[in-house]
Amino acid sequence: MLLVLADEHKEHLGFLNEVDVEVVREFCRIAMEFIRSGPNPKLYQSAAQKLSVASETVQHGVEGLMFLLTEAARYMISEIDFQDSIMTLGFSEDLRSLLLQLYLDNRTEIRTILSEMSMDLPHYHNLEWRLEVTVASRTLRHQVTPRLMMKLHTQDSGEKDVQVLQTDPVNLLHMTRVLEGALAEMKSTHCRRIVRNIK
Amino acid sequence: MRFRFCGELDCPDWVLAEISILSKLTSVKMKLLCVQVVKDLLGQSIDYDKVHKLTADAKYEAGDVKASIAALSFILSSAAKYQVDGESLSNELQQLGLPKEHSSSLCKTYADNLSNLQAQFMRQSLKLSQLESAEWRVDYILSSSELQEVQEPMVQLRFRVRNPDTGDVTPHSFNMTADKFRLFLSELKQAHQVMGGLAL
Repeated sequence: MLLVLADEHKEHLGFLNEVDVEVVREFCRIAMEFIRSGPNPKLYQSAAQKLSVASETVQHGVEGLMFLLTEAARYMISEIDFQDSIMTLGFSEDLRSLLLQLYLDNRTEIRTILSEMSMDLPHYHNLEWRLEVTVASRTLRHQVTPRLMMKLHTQDSGEKDVQVLQTDPVNLLHMTRVLEGALAEMKSTHCRRIVRNIK
Repeated sequence: MRFRFCGELDCPDWVLAEISILSKLTSVKMKLLCVQVVKDLLGQSIDYDKVHKLTADAKYEAGDVKASIAALSFILSSAAKYQVDGESLSNELQQLGLPKEHSSSLCKTYADNLSNLQAQFMRQSLKLSQLESAEWRVDYILSSSELQEVQEPMVQLRFRVRNPDTGDVTPHSFNMTADKFRLFLSELKQAHQVMGGLAL
């Protein structure tokens, strides 16, 4: 699958052709840092001063590089497709091989970062429980009622939520049976067939 | 294979895998590492520089350091949870393949700190909310906008309740007339009596 680059994108990346290979290597490093932790405008200023160009050009160059990498990683394109896609940019031979190397080295890392950015539902974080027995209450003395008190901690994209739940032993057995049945469902022939085909 | 320190269940596979990595340390370094892990379980922070110095000789990678701390953490906390004594823990660890000197140094650290660990775990057990303090004040109401002569004593109570998850302390205050307060007090005294009867 070939990446189709927008004209504006090609313009931004065209800047990379005008500078040395070493500078492009540095830009690649800055682009990876951008992907990992976000933009760093001070770096753009200092780089622009060293190369005596506008800081905007530097910023566009880095962002263009970053976009190229994320799009390539998103579609998981092969080396040949990547090389063909950047052929249209008119880069020199070593520049192309440098970009290819950068893509191959960081592909898995970019994919992990991209996967963390997708939509999140509340998921399990921690479960605390305690077993207690009610021996008396204001209305009824001399009772023995066992109960399980649980505190379910869930996390939804950084926010934590706490739910306090209570159950009696019969319900607890039923719950564990249902959940174990759900786990066992993975071992059924139907699920095994699907998993084998995905892999 | 059922192990007492795992609560009569099988030992998790990852702990078995870590035993061989732990055996690479000398038993003296193992003891120092155990002391660090116990500090972490008791809520004090772990000194990672010391840990790295201890594991540098055995040439542990970053993943190995984390895995060994996790394995020791699991062994010590789960043994304290199921109240296993030092001897049985030592036997079971040797059954898993940990060399004798390592097991005995681990179990010595465990036995020394068992009561501290159990006290800490008791404190960490699930609590919904805790009464931090209770304050009271008795007022005497002379008159009000409804009735000129009221002449009624009233008690105002303030309970400060701590939420264990967030650590916030919220105050709850309320007023009561003398009769209601008498009822309240007698109910609480009955509850106290039932609790006293249970105390072992």
